Amino acid sequence: MKFKDQLRFVRQNMKKNKSRVFMTVLATAMGCAFLIVLASVGFGLQKSIVDKIVGDRLVTAITVWGKKNIDQQLNAEDLKYLKSLNHVKAVTYKDYIMQPLVYTSDNQTMSTDKTVAVDFEEEAKAGFALAAGRLPQKPGEVVAGFHFGKTVIGPEDAARSEDKRADKERAEGWIGKKLTFDVHQLVNGKKESFPQQVTVVGIKEKPKREWLMDTNIYIEIGLRDQIEQLTGTQLGEMRIAANGNEEAYEPRAFDEPRNYNSVETFVSKAQQVKETAETMREKGYSIHSIADEVSQIDVVFTIMKIGLVFVGTIAILIASIGIFNTMTMAVTERSQDIGIMKAIGAHPRIIRRIFLLESAWIGLLGALVGTAAAYLLSAAVNTGVPLLIQAFMNEKVPQDFIFSLIPPYLAALSCAISVGVALLSGARPAKRATRVDVLRALRRDV
Amino acid sequence: MIEVKGVSHQFNIGKKGSEKIVPVLHEINLHIKKREIVAIVGRSGSGKSTLLNLMSGYIRPVKGEIHVMGEQVTHLSEGQWADFRLRHFGFMFQSFQLIPSMTAYENIELPLVLQGMDTLKRKLRVQELMERVDLHDYAGHYPGELSGGQQQRVSVARALVLNPPIVLADEPTGSLDSENEMQLLGLIHELNRERGTTFVIITHDEQVAAIADRTVALADGRLKPGKEQVTYEV
Repeated sequence: MKFKDQLRFVRQNMKKNKSRVFMTVLATAMGCAFLIVLASVGFGLQKSIVDKIVGDRLVTAITVWGKKNIDQQLNAEDLKYLKSLNHVKAVTYKDYIMQPLVYTSDNQTMSTDKTVAVDFEEEAKAGFALAAGRLPQKPGEVVAGFHFGKTVIGPEDAARSEDKRADKERAEGWIGKKLTFDVHQLVNGKKESFPQQVTVVGIKEKPKREWLMDTNIYIEIGLRDQIEQLTGTQLGEMRIAANGNEEAYEPRAFDEPRNYNSVETFVSKAQQVKETAETMREKGYSIHSIADEVSQIDVVFTIMKIGLVFVGTIAILIASIGIFNTMTMAVTERSQDIGIMKAIGAHPRIIRRIFLLESAWIGLLGALVGTAAAYLLSAAVNTGVPLLIQAFMNEKVPQDFIFSLIPPYLAALSCAISVGVALLSGARPAKRATRVDVLRALRRDV
Repeated sequence: MIEVKGVSHQFNIGKKGSEKIVPVLHEINLHIKKREIVAIVGRSGSGKSTLLNLMSGYIRPVKGEIHVMGEQVTHLSEGQWADFRLRHFGFMFQSFQLIPSMTAYENIELPLVLQGMDTLKRKLRVQELMERVDLHDYAGHYPGELSGGQQQRVSVARALVLNPPIVLADEPTGSLDSENEMQLLGLIHELNRERGTTFVIITHDEQVAAIADRTVALADGRLKPGKEQVTYEV
C-alpha cells in the first residue's frame, strides 16, 4: 500500500470524528506550547544573563594575570610567546600613566584620572570598537572614552546637565578638539611641568553595561614613550622626595625592562579558547577567560533547561493520554472496517502503520499549532512582563532583557517530542488494531 | 486448486478452565478443481462456514492440511496469509461487508490500494468492473445509499478486481430477493466461464446449488457420502 494512500486513509478516518480529533489536537497543542514557553524562559534568561556578564568583553578573549599565581608580572618575552601561540590573533595590554593628567580644552577642564597607553595596532585586531572617528596614527592623536565629556568640571557642569543632545552626539562633539595637559616630575627636588597637546580623533564605543562610565583617554605607545622620556620614569611615575619620616621614592627608569598589565590575548573563534587557555595554563600563566565563566553558567542553565523541558514534556505526556484514548476509540469504532480490510488481504503491518500514522499526524498537527501559539505567547511575555513589573513592582526591567527566547532547535525538539510521544501513545491501539479478529469483526456465525 | 486433506476442527466454548470442546469438522477430504463452481451445502451448524473460514485462513485447523494452488497454507503466519489472500482469493459475504465510510468506487478499489497499484491503473480497472456489474452510475454512492442487490454487486466487483483465481463466497444470495439472486448467479456463472475463476460457494439455496458444477454436502461436520457429484452442466 502506497504512503499517499495511507495518508488518504488517515485523513478519511480523521474526518469521521472531527470534534474528537480537534480536541485531541488542541490538547497536544497546549502541551507543546507549554513545553516550548517553559523552556523558552530558560533560554531567554540565559541569553539575558550571559549577555550581561559578557558585556563588552569578548568570549574570544583570555585575560592573562601573570605567571606563577600572579606573583610574576609579564614581560616582553611573555608577550612575544603569547603572540606566537596557535589561534592567537592579537595580544593587547594597557599601560596606565602613573600620574593624574588634567586635560583642558577651550577653557574647559576635565577631571579624568586615567590615561591609558595601548597598542592600537593590536587593539584593532582584537576589535577595539569606535563610536565615531578613527584610531590614532601618530603620538599626538588620542581616542576619548565615550563619557569623557562628562568629566568637565567647573561652571560648565551646569551647562552640561542642560545639554539635551543624545549621548552619542555629545561624545562625537569631541572629535577634532585639541586637549592640553601637563606632565609633571620632580627634578632635583623641584616639581617641573612639561606642557603637551593632543588631538581627539576617535570616540570609543559606549560600554554595553549601562552603569559603566568610560572617561579614559587612550593614547598611543609613542606618546607614552614621550611622557616617559620627559619624566625619566616608566609610565611617567613621579618621584617622591624625602620628607620627614618618609623616604624618597625613585620609580623604575624608563629604559629598564618593562612589565605589562591587563594583558589579554584574543583568539579567532570561541571554540579555540579552551585549547589556547590549556596551553597557557601548562606554561604556568595565570589566566581567566569569559568563556570559562560563561561555560559554567551555561552548565547551570543547561541543567535548568533540561529540567524545564522535562516538566514541559509531562504536559505532552498528559496530552498523550488524550491521543491514546482517541486512538483506542478509533480502533474500537473501526473494528469492522479493520476486519473487512484484513479479510480481503490487508497485512497487519499496514493496519498498524495506518493507525500509527494517524496518531503521528495528530501529534504533528498539535505540535505545529502549539509552536505557533508558543511564538505568540513568547512575544506576549517579552512585551507584557516588563510592563507588569513596572506597573506592580515599580521596577524598571533593563533594556533588551529577554524573558522568553525560542531558538529554532527548541521548536524542532518540541515537535519531535510531540510526534514521538504521539507515536508511543498510538503504538498500543495500533497493535490492538492488528489483533482485531476477522470473524468477530464480520459478525459471522462460526 | 484447493486440496483439503483430513481436516478436523473444533471450538473451545466457555470460560477458561471450564471450556467445552465442540467438534465442528471431522476428517474432511475435499478436492476443488480449477474453473469449478463448487457449492457447499448443509444445514445450519453443519460446519460449512467453518470449512470456508479454514480455506480463507481466518482460522487454523486443529488437524489436517489445506493446499491452495500447490502451496501448503495451514502453517502460514497471519501476515503471510494476508498476502496470500490478496494474491489468490476474492471474497463475497452474505452481508456484503462493504466499508460504510467508503463509496462504491472506493470499496471496489480497496484491494488494488492494498496491493499498491498506481492510481491511473486502478481507475481503469475499477471503471471496467463497475461497467461489468452495471454500477457505473453509482460510483460516488455510499453503501447505505445502495440497494441490497447493488451492494452485492459492489461486493462481487471488489472480489474480482484483482482477477483472483479463486472466489470464496459465504451465502452470497442470503440477503437478496429472487430477482437480484438470479442476476448475481448469472454473473457468477458468466465470470466463471469468461475468466475461469473458481468459485467455492457456501449456500443452502438450491438455486445456487443448481448453477454449481458440483455440490458438496456437509452434515454434522462430515461430508455426506455420495453427495460429491456434478449436478449441473452448462
